[in-house]
Amino acid sequence: MSRLDTMRVSAQIAVRNLGAHRLKTFIVGGIIFFGAFLVVLGNSLVESIDNSMSRSVIGSVAGNIQVYNATSKDQLAVMGGMTMGDPDLAQIDDFAKLRATLLKVPHVKSVVPMGISGALVTSGNTIDIALERLRGIVRKELDAGTPKDVATQRQLAAQLAAQKDHVRQIITVLQGDMKNMKAIVQEQAVNKEDVEVIQKSASDAFWVDFDKDPYGALEYLENHLAPLAVDADLLFIRYVGTDLGSFSKSFDRMKIVDGTTVPPGKRGFLFSKFIYEDQLKLKSARRLDKIKEAKDLRGETIAKSEELQRFVRENTQQVREVLLQLDALKTATFRAKLQKELALPADPKAELGALLAQFFATDDANFQGRYDFFYRELAPDLELYRVRIGDILTIKAFTKSGYVQSVNVPVYGTFQFEGLEKSALAGALNLMDLVSFRELYGFMSDEKLAEIKTLRASAHAKEVSRENAEAELFGAGSDEPSPAAPGAKAPGGVGAKPGKAPPRHIIADATPGVNPELPEISSPLAAKLRREEARSRVFPPDEVERGVVLNAAVLLDDPKYMRATMPAIVKQGEKDGLKLKAISWQESAGLIGNFINLARGVLMVAIIIIFTVALVIINNALVMATLERVREIGTLRAIGAQKRFILSMLVVEAVVIGLLFGGLGAAAGAVLVKIIGAVGIAAKSDVQFFFFSGPRLRPFLNPAAVVAAFVIVIFVATISSFYPAWLAMRVTPRQAMQEEE
Amino acid sequence: MMKAIVSVKDAVKNYTLGKVVVPALRGVTLEVGAGEFMSIAGPSGSGKTTLLNLIGCVDTPTSGTVEVAGKNTRELSERQLTDLRLNTIGFIFQSFNLVSVLNVFQNCELPLLLQKSIGSDERKRRVLELLDKVGLGDHVKHRPSELSGGQRQRVAIARALVTRPQLVLADEPTANLDSVTGQNILDLMKDLNRTQGTTFIFSTHDQKVMSYANTILRLADGKLAAGNGATAAAPHVAGAPA
Repeated sequence: MSRLDTMRVSAQIAVRNLGAHRLKTFIVGGIIFFGAFLVVLGNSLVESIDNSMSRSVIGSVAGNIQVYNATSKDQLAVMGGMTMGDPDLAQIDDFAKLRATLLKVPHVKSVVPMGISGALVTSGNTIDIALERLRGIVRKELDAGTPKDVATQRQLAAQLAAQKDHVRQIITVLQGDMKNMKAIVQEQAVNKEDVEVIQKSASDAFWVDFDKDPYGALEYLENHLAPLAVDADLLFIRYVGTDLGSFSKSFDRMKIVDGTTVPPGKRGFLFSKFIYEDQLKLKSARRLDKIKEAKDLRGETIAKSEELQRFVRENTQQVREVLLQLDALKTATFRAKLQKELALPADPKAELGALLAQFFATDDANFQGRYDFFYRELAPDLELYRVRIGDILTIKAFTKSGYVQSVNVPVYGTFQFEGLEKSALAGALNLMDLVSFRELYGFMSDEKLAEIKTLRASAHAKEVSRENAEAELFGAGSDEPSPAAPGAKAPGGVGAKPGKAPPRHIIADATPGVNPELPEISSPLAAKLRREEARSRVFPPDEVERGVVLNAAVLLDDPKYMRATMPAIVKQGEKDGLKLKAISWQESAGLIGNFINLARGVLMVAIIIIFTVALVIINNALVMATLERVREIGTLRAIGAQKRFILSMLVVEAVVIGLLFGGLGAAAGAVLVKIIGAVGIAAKSDVQFFFFSGPRLRPFLNPAAVVAAFVIVIFVATISSFYPAWLAMRVTPRQAMQEEE
Repeated sequence: MMKAIVSVKDAVKNYTLGKVVVPALRGVTLEVGAGEFMSIAGPSGSGKTTLLNLIGCVDTPTSGTVEVAGKNTRELSERQLTDLRLNTIGFIFQSFNLVSVLNVFQNCELPLLLQKSIGSDERKRRVLELLDKVGLGDHVKHRPSELSGGQRQRVAIARALVTRPQLVLADEPTANLDSVTGQNILDLMKDLNRTQGTTFIFSTHDQKVMSYANTILRLADGKLAAGNGATAAAPHVAGAPA
């Protein structure tokens, strides 16, 4: 009881001292308040971000753990690493075996095979598409094999006229481009041949002659005119080759947006909705979307935002992409609609480009109206996306050994990872079936091997060793096996045909497991067959299962076992003869996984700095206070207070400040977290969208942060009172009697 | 004479200032009986405060012995000295030395809290009784800053007496007070000495103040001056300025 009373009196003295030295209390308390506030708020924010980010990263592509070959040169980075290129990973030969091994490990719920790579895709060129359509109509018309009634005849003639019109419309646009070019560069800088091509194509004479020799004319247009219209983009896309069935089952965040998922065993490509919108959409439409999003979600205005002004400017300057899509009929319709919308007098001669530019010159007042008008009136007549669902996508990739490999895959639809819809970071990944992935990456499928065999047989291809290639090509060498080519006898060289003894008949340069470049098949029939094949071929599940993968995502039944499961996976791998490396989702998310650690680090540094400053200032203030109170302390000692009492008095004083202001700061932080949690923080950029894994972050209060705030505050307060307390304990009772003169 | 409460024998106290040894007391021997009202007199620098510090167990002698309540202070540890001060001695300071953030009641209660053995009811009874006695019964809730110098010294006296010490030491208790207030304070101390039997030792260099004492001990240059030992309250005891 009495000890408590002594504590009470020392606390009383301490508290009253705080009141007596308000400025000091205010400064010290303010710093502690801010520190505790920051601990609670910062920690809660970081924890919330970590939580939502981990949910979306784990639930979208990374899984809880990623497993890959331990002999790989680089570390796996699912969502893009520190370097631009893809990490160099060693392959895992048999996914079925890997899965069996992984499923033996406790807590492993499911395993998804994966391979991540990137490739170039050519997006459609408007004139190419227009010419291809024209060719199609011409072919139908000239096709003597099918009998045609009058109605069909007439319909085809109308189609032909309209399509010709469209091509001529495109040529007019190109003519305009040429005129503009001449205005800015000197005459001689413009390629004369180009001018001639355009002039010739635009001439009425050319089109009169067209019907006489449509294929010849088409060839001229395809070979000479089309290269001048360079509106096609080379797109670099990143994709995950995976078993799409088990992918969508294991990753709950993945949702199909348009189209359907790829049927089991089929080749197929799913675009990320983000990429589809951002890269493949008509640029004018995409810019309108972006302006709308900025205005609606972030409250930006065209008047204030430089970025939005740039979008508007680009839309007014880059109407060509729209113009190229329009034939004469559509041009007239657009002209009439735009003149009505812009309240201009109807003038059939007005230039559509200028009208479009005027239409796209939006401001904050008319934007919403123009946006709605665009999608209601204009968009239905436009091809909004360069690649449509159902198109066959030709993907060209460099295989691991450096060959260019191309694969045709049908686009089945688009998907998004829920919560990451707007994020360029996670939205950059597209999905592809595993078989196509293996081919692009340079692994042979059974199907491909068979195809090579057939092709080789049909083309009577003679296999040529690299050493003898020159001789073979130029006929300068003899038929004798070259003595300088022992290395050509590559062990296990793919396709080494038995019965052909000379070493020069070993296939050139075959890296084991990597198929050689296929001869390009360019005849229309072959192309058609390939397209048909791409759509209809069904692979047996065994081929998907038993093939090569680069990595596998492991999903756990409970995420808290992640740390324990990682070494267990490696161990189980050793038992089963697989050299495996298991990394956490944070590591496999690459750069992104590190962001949260970075954020945590920054917060930690800020907290350390704040509390170091707090420590110094509190210490300083207490030293000053102690020096001021030498007589009081001396008096207390004289009348019988032990040193311990003095010590507890000062420590209690510091702890009281800490608890009082730390408590207030933590409470203020908690209240703010609650308020922000109720309102939410709007994501203002793609990066934020990713971190928040959704349009708004709703932070939750982290009770551990409140506890941490108190612990830190009390620790700092106690530590900072040690030196002043030591000073105070050296005050002797005699000092109570000293009179300052 | 009653039993001695303080017994000082050949006490020498040297202070070292840097490398110089400054003798403050050069061998003082004296005894103070219980119930005395004694004044230690002498000019500044004569060793009054040093002697008072030795008696008050705030300091220990360089040589010789100081016994307070039968205990040799040189043989006690720092903590034991503190306990001895707490339980046997009351202090009254020239500048009152109240804890400025505590009110009158709390200042008086403080030594009892340090003693830890007295319950709160008993503490309250004792403090209020003493504050009544020093004439501050109506000021219990006041802060020292709200009191006059004389009132503050009364609080200090109450604080010194609240533990019922055998000995009260007062270092120039009236030096910061005007003469009328100083006389009131001395009257109060004398009254308490008479009614409670508490031993008072106070230092002063004021002739008028000395005259209140039953015994005047004159110090000069760290030694007792000649002509000490007057026990009667003689207002005009001849000083011995050597």
